[in-house]
Amino acid sequence: MVSLEKTAPQQANDRAKIEIKNLNFYYGESKALKNISLQLPERSVTAFIGPSGCGKSTLLRVLNRIYELYPKQRAEGEVLVDGQNILDRNQDLNLLRTKVGMVFQKPTPFPMSIYENISFGIKLYENLNKSDMDERVEAALRRAALWNEVKDKLNASGLSLSGGQQQRLCIARTVAVKPEIILLDEPASALDPLSTAKIEELIDELRADYTIVIVTHNMQQAARVSRQTAFMYLGELVEFDETAKIFTSPQEKRTQDYVTGRFG
Amino acid sequence: MASTHILSAYDEELQYLTRRISEMGGLAEQMCTDAVRALVNSDSALAQKVIADDVGLDQSEREIQEKAIITIARRQPVAADLREIVGSLRIAADLERVGDLGKNTAKRVIAVQGGVPRKLARGLEHLSDLALVQLKEVLDVYVSRSVEKAEAIRLRDEEIDAMYTSLFRELLTYMMEDPRNITTCTHLLFCAKNIERIGDHATNIAETIYYMTTGAQPEGERPKDDTSNTLGAANS
Repeated sequence: MVSLEKTAPQQANDRAKIEIKNLNFYYGESKALKNISLQLPERSVTAFIGPSGCGKSTLLRVLNRIYELYPKQRAEGEVLVDGQNILDRNQDLNLLRTKVGMVFQKPTPFPMSIYENISFGIKLYENLNKSDMDERVEAALRRAALWNEVKDKLNASGLSLSGGQQQRLCIARTVAVKPEIILLDEPASALDPLSTAKIEELIDELRADYTIVIVTHNMQQAARVSRQTAFMYLGELVEFDETAKIFTSPQEKRTQDYVTGRFG
Repeated sequence: MASTHILSAYDEELQYLTRRISEMGGLAEQMCTDAVRALVNSDSALAQKVIADDVGLDQSEREIQEKAIITIARRQPVAADLREIVGSLRIAADLERVGDLGKNTAKRVIAVQGGVPRKLARGLEHLSDLALVQLKEVLDVYVSRSVEKAEAIRLRDEEIDAMYTSLFRELLTYMMEDPRNITTCTHLLFCAKNIERIGDHATNIAETIYYMTTGAQPEGERPKDDTSNTLGAANS
């Protein structure tokens, strides 16, 4: 479990890593995000919460432009990562996605060995010899707290792992290509409580080095892992504040009603 | 809280706490009224009743505490709900103390055998009227959740402090006049202190309600006018 001592005094580094300005998003004709503006601090965990259909996953999917894989989806406005607008037409998408990694709700290991699951992404961008690659794979698996469980079966299929292990494998795969930002879309919603705790512990460790954005339906999870929380409703950003504030004395009535289980 | 939870059982648990706190408040208030009446009328039967009532008050506090802990464990309350539950724990503890102060006053009825001099009795009654108004009003605020009234109660504790200081001074004078008064006056001094403490608990409750309702702590030091700690025989 994430201990209180670790979570409470997060290194306050309030430089904005991601700056979202007047963002609107459309699925065809329907507007899914309405003029969203917020700043996500560097090396910190930010949670997006809200009822289904509020736009939290949509907002996450804008941050690495993964929505472009689908037709008729478009974003307007600005998303600055380190001051550079990633919505710019000239943005190199492959480069963007190495910088901004993503982990999905259901574990998505490639149908290959555990080792190859990690090395596959690295090979796309770097040409490493065997021993360097071994080191990188080990480092990534250690970072994802999976090494001790898989070190003796690196050639086994990634699909042979348990759900929780598969999810950590996906996090290892994301970390292996050295991103700066990690997007987590409901990373623990398909896992049992113990695997969930391991993922949360992992998030708590990773925040020292990465800017992490997590979308979660589980409000208690947002309360446990994040430093700031954005509450969204019907495509609007209702309230964005320190997580402690959102869960003890939110300013907006809609936030209050949602976190206390009065609507949603 | 106007709107209701999706889970109605959660609402019922919160309502249970509110109802039990109000009941405790009513009982604590009655005990204090009875204790002062027993004291000024030397009514030991009424004093015994107060002592017996305290058992029920203690039991209520334990039940509220258990229910609150179970609710925290099962519902993982946040925001206003969390403040509500933590607040009810604190208020129950304050009310339990108020009951103890009433009981302690009642116990002294037997010791003050000779009866209470009329002038002192009036002073005590006046002090207890002030304290019990505070307690009664704070219990009303617990139901109405009026932040303004909570703040007003908090600031009014000053009057009780001033009244207590004057009673303290009067008791010292009686003791100096005739050493045979010392036993009675010492007991009455404790009774006066008990009553003054009831006012402090009412103030605490007002502050808790303020926090439960707004999520913020009331601002500024509240005024204090209890200067009895500086009084000596020479300057009384």
